[in-house]
Amino acid sequence: MEFLFDFLMRLVAQFQSPTLGFLIGGMVLAALGSNLKIPNAIYQFIVFMLLMKIGIQGGIEIRGADLSAMLLPAVSAVIIGVVIVLIGSFVFSLLPGIKREDGIATAGLFGAVSASTLAAAMVLLEEEAIYFEAWVPALYPFMDIPALILAIVLANIHLKKQNGGKDSKVDVWGIVKESLRGSALSALILGLALGLLTKSEGVLESFYEPLFRGFLSVLMLVMGMEAFARINELRRVAHLYAVYAFIAPIIHGLIAFGLGYIAHVTVGFSPGGVILLSVIAASSSDISGPPTLRGGIPSANPSTYIGSSTSVGTPVAIAVCIPLFISLAQVVFNL
Amino acid sequence: MTLHKAEKVVIITEKLILKGVCQIIEAYGGTGYTIVAAGGKGSRNVRSTSDRAAVVDDFANVKIEVIVKSKTIAETIMNQVAKKYFENYSGITYVEDVEILRPKKFYND
Repeated sequence: MEFLFDFLMRLVAQFQSPTLGFLIGGMVLAALGSNLKIPNAIYQFIVFMLLMKIGIQGGIEIRGADLSAMLLPAVSAVIIGVVIVLIGSFVFSLLPGIKREDGIATAGLFGAVSASTLAAAMVLLEEEAIYFEAWVPALYPFMDIPALILAIVLANIHLKKQNGGKDSKVDVWGIVKESLRGSALSALILGLALGLLTKSEGVLESFYEPLFRGFLSVLMLVMGMEAFARINELRRVAHLYAVYAFIAPIIHGLIAFGLGYIAHVTVGFSPGGVILLSVIAASSSDISGPPTLRGGIPSANPSTYIGSSTSVGTPVAIAVCIPLFISLAQVVFNL
Repeated sequence: MTLHKAEKVVIITEKLILKGVCQIIEAYGGTGYTIVAAGGKGSRNVRSTSDRAAVVDDFANVKIEVIVKSKTIAETIMNQVAKKYFENYSGITYVEDVEILRPKKFYND
């Protein structure tokens, strides 16, 4: 009961946080038909800035970190990515009126990771003064890439069966390459390398760090506007997608919380790290995942997975899951 | 000034498959092409042009124009693109008669 009350209080407090405020503001503006436009180039630059900051900070921390402590969380991330896709594909295969490959693609996108949700969680943890290892955000690709590959492989196996064994090989290495070359992951990996190999503290503290929050607020505005714009697309497909997109982030985050807790007990993974891992699991990709899936599963209808992820999944991950996992951690770890 | 008859193939499709379409154009006798950003409305919803920040930029549309010397080449390119992509990706293609100034530019050999 106390937990529930704490969670509700936290949820209310969250709505006063600027991060979420900008997200809702964007939705309201789009709903009112505002002509406000954030140019695409700026949006892309912001994503680059955020991931570069996350990467450099992670790289600097990895320099001094104990690599064995990172192993279990990294393995957990891979397991979570795979499990999310398996659960999602299975659930969708039981539901009526859902094309199999649409369901698998949606599950794949929810297994993948959203950079904007990750950044929002980092800011909120900093606001709450909850410590997390700076390398935790670098777990992103460990969950993202296996989830996308598995979804594409599953969908192609299904399509192959449907076509009576017509040969259609899945180019796994091609998907890995495409994911790594995507705008989000290339910025993150370059940042990691720079943080690891160069003395990048100066540029991080004077440039990337101070701009992080401001840029995140603009990104949240864009995400809000996009979320509203995509609702129309989601309306045209089965409503079960919206139900899945609402429930799945919470379930995925809880699975990650469980695995993170095991890592906490065995290798001393920080409570903040557990929260962040849960948020990464709860998030669904909106930048790099969709084009990869569109290329890998061309016959799946993009309105289903992009609509589910951008218009429902991401807002739920940011507005519900982040406060939920922070409160849960406070109860579990006595923060 | 002497003008020469030629064919212009126009393909409006998703930016995501641009690379593959261009490979087809070159493989089936196109010597070059022009690509412009496109937006509008079609059977698969409204596509915005690039002034709005799109979360997935790859889903923007492009318009590809190819000038080729004969209708046969034009039809081959259109058929190949349609066969490979138009079942799963949005796209339209049409051909126009045009008059060009320097025909040498459009001969492969």
